[in-house]
Amino acid sequence: MTIIQPLQLLAPLSGVLVPLDHVPDPVFASRVIGDGLCIDPTSQTLCAPLAGVVSNLQHSGHAISITDDSGVQVLLHIGLDTVNLAGKGFSALVEQGQRVEAGQPLIEFDADYVALHARSLLTLMLLVSGEPFSLLTPDNGLVACAQPVLHLSLGDPRSSVAQEEGEALFSKPVRLPNPNGLHARPAAIFAQAAKGFTASICLHKQQDSANAKSLVAIMALQTVHGDALQVSAVGEDAELAIRTLTQLLVDGCGEAVTALAVVAPVVQAQEVSTKLLRGVCASGGTAFGHVVQVAERAPEVPEFAADQFLERESLERALTRATQALQHLRDNAQGKAQGDIFKAHQELLEDPSLLEQAQALIAEGKSAAFAWNSATDATATLFKSLGNTLLAERALDLMDVGQRVLKLILGVPDGIWELPDQAILIAEQLTPSQTAALDTDKVLGFATVGGGATSHVAILARALGLPAVCGLPIQVLSLASGTRVLLDADKGELHVDPAAPAIEQLYAKLQQQRQRHLHELEQASLAACTRDGHHFEVTANVASLAETEQAMNLGAEGVGLLRSEFLYQQRSLAPSLDEQASIYSAIARTLGPQRNLVVRTLDVGGDKPLAYVPMDSEANPFLGIRGIRLCLERPQLLREQLQAILSSAGLARLHIMLPMVSQLSELRLARQMLEEEALALGLKELPKLGIMIEVPSAALMADLFAPEVDFFSIGTNDLTQYTLAMDRDHPRLASQADSFHPSVLRLIASTVKAAHAHGKWVGVCGALASETLAVPLLLGLGVDELSVSVPLIPAIKAAIREVELSDCQAVAHHVLGLESAEQVREVLSLQQQAMVETSQVLEN
Amino acid sequence: MFEKMQRAFWKALTPDLLVDEPKVTALLSTDLPSSVIAALGGLDNLASQQRIAITRVRVQLRDVTRLDEQALRAAGVPGVMVLADGVVHVLMPVPKVGPTVCA
Repeated sequence: MTIIQPLQLLAPLSGVLVPLDHVPDPVFASRVIGDGLCIDPTSQTLCAPLAGVVSNLQHSGHAISITDDSGVQVLLHIGLDTVNLAGKGFSALVEQGQRVEAGQPLIEFDADYVALHARSLLTLMLLVSGEPFSLLTPDNGLVACAQPVLHLSLGDPRSSVAQEEGEALFSKPVRLPNPNGLHARPAAIFAQAAKGFTASICLHKQQDSANAKSLVAIMALQTVHGDALQVSAVGEDAELAIRTLTQLLVDGCGEAVTALAVVAPVVQAQEVSTKLLRGVCASGGTAFGHVVQVAERAPEVPEFAADQFLERESLERALTRATQALQHLRDNAQGKAQGDIFKAHQELLEDPSLLEQAQALIAEGKSAAFAWNSATDATATLFKSLGNTLLAERALDLMDVGQRVLKLILGVPDGIWELPDQAILIAEQLTPSQTAALDTDKVLGFATVGGGATSHVAILARALGLPAVCGLPIQVLSLASGTRVLLDADKGELHVDPAAPAIEQLYAKLQQQRQRHLHELEQASLAACTRDGHHFEVTANVASLAETEQAMNLGAEGVGLLRSEFLYQQRSLAPSLDEQASIYSAIARTLGPQRNLVVRTLDVGGDKPLAYVPMDSEANPFLGIRGIRLCLERPQLLREQLQAILSSAGLARLHIMLPMVSQLSELRLARQMLEEEALALGLKELPKLGIMIEVPSAALMADLFAPEVDFFSIGTNDLTQYTLAMDRDHPRLASQADSFHPSVLRLIASTVKAAHAHGKWVGVCGALASETLAVPLLLGLGVDELSVSVPLIPAIKAAIREVELSDCQAVAHHVLGLESAEQVREVLSLQQQAMVETSQVLEN
Repeated sequence: MFEKMQRAFWKALTPDLLVDEPKVTALLSTDLPSSVIAALGGLDNLASQQRIAITRVRVQLRDVTRLDEQALRAAGVPGVMVLADGVVHVLMPVPKVGPTVCA
């Protein structure tokens, strides 16, 4: 082989060059994976841009990496979101590990098929190994396949990835168990472990790969729960490195890998009150105190410096001292979570890519402070721009660590706040360093505009046992210091200048609620029987094994709704049959053969799309291809799901439930598929088959559906929006789309009547079942089972124990004749009060 | 969200003017300039046309021999891909990203 120095890369395709910045895909356009070029192809055979070895060939055939003998690695990626095609339209002409010549055909693709079925045909050629290059053609002209397009300057490789010689070893793929992917803490632990080896190590997620020793690079991979990751290594200790690091991934990189309960930030209605400000709970609890506004001014940073050597030294010194300070914080951390956060900060300081950026700027004559500030800012901006909330929150960690070092370079003392007693801190944003440095003797809680429930600040607040609310409206920053405020973090509320009785009342109410809640918890495992002795089944709405376990601990008598979507969402490939089957079986085993498990088949559509099921965008997705409609359109998806569900037959009382059914033919088609799959598996007994009642047509024809189903379950949220023709997410209509509307209640009543006439049972699994106010109403309407959200199980069981069925029937009969949802709510509230009073009389 | 609301608003005001979804086979929905249409052999030579894959207009020609690649290039089309059975992809620049407002 002739060695051409310097290296030129050939165009892998004929077509039109497109500037990388114009590529409508943030990951490629931001050059996270690497810099390079983009071609809109006019030819259909992808050719090798350089001679080398096929270091990676995606099994879906849409992406391939070539690594040459000097370590230059080029990724070729045909089209955007083409991974969703799962290989259709592509045929690979080479194999992984094969040596190829420059210009050799690699992959053939059907341009018409791909263009019709994927988002785009725009094809990327990216220099993953990061060598600087220059373009040999204008960046928007036509190129012909195999024409030289890039000129590489092969100096010293910029990353250590390409330094090691030899064959790369690859690990088996590992399913990422961390509930939030490899975010800062687990990523830091992983990078730390990787640094212990001399081999060059990469972490791969599909076609993306990252230097495993770089925390920033690992985080930029944007891994999520369930991702399949691979570790590759080149060098002496490669084998040991792969074994150790793979095990570390399996073990969760220092995180407890049972699913964490993460409170999703709730989008609050834009109701602006000067007395009451709403945000999201970051750490529970209540506190009453005085406002202390915390604002920090950014220090002034000189841009230029005369002596590069001095600047480099100044940066080094600041980094060393910052690491020491963080070590001190780690050593004095009250809990492991806190310690780990500062450890992650230390890792950020050692990150090769941050240092490289800063040193490059110093070499250009910038000051150490300016260089460091620019490097951290740029990387934080990148994190924020990737459209991933978790990564955006990690940007705060980066800014925090950046400020720490910046202050050390500039010799600015770390601000120590003079705090009054009973302080409730209010800030745009609190950094982890600030939070950890809080004097808990004086600070009672804090409230911020920025931040989320999954941020490190929230984790620290929980560790310190301080109530905290984040996501407050910006007005909170204009509250005068010293203002008295009541922070009710559980509700995400900040009450401004509450009147004395209001404070007492709130405290009393909280106290009462707490006692009631404790009482409910104590009784949770007991059956839910009305005062006149009628037993009602309370089951749980769940979306994971962990939730199922939690539900059983809180007294659930089964699962009334397993949202199977959780198996499919937030991933780029469909779950395998085995994976699905093992999860259904694990959940069924948790319940046992005496309890109901109602599995709802995949309920997705235009409003909740899946990455790997290409769907046309619809003008009105709620009236489009959703639920059973989608499954019948893609029968393979449904058949495979049915096979997986059926594999758990016998482990629990298995029920299968079809969503969004509006026609009898849909039920019949699905039943036929179920029977065929059950027969193929040799099952003697079919599981129960039922439908969701969430479309008015199904409710109105329940008498015709009833003979052909085993049960109904009413989805009140969708039933309400379809009955009232009000989008439940509409900014102005959502509050009127109330399930207490008599029209919805009448549909429930007629559904129950039709079901009972055929001896079938009816459950309610919509949000209405989780409202204590609705309990007497639903029991009175004749509903047999309530499937509720997990934390509310004890409260709903308690509400059942408080009523008499005969009273419920009377009130249900009465409200069916009312005019509006408000009237229904009013009657129910009055009845609830009356019942609470009688029950107190009876108890005393 | 903003886009969705704006769309709903326009739909309410001009129910018959706004097509719900660009229909796959709707003729003239792609607004190819007349010089491009001429280079493709005239409007009557187009059996169908369809905007696909962000940067492409897929046209089905009745008679491929009436396609004039030279004229297409002269009409400012950056690239063209002639496929089997009279299918032609006319390449377009990447459209400018519209205003995306996160509510």
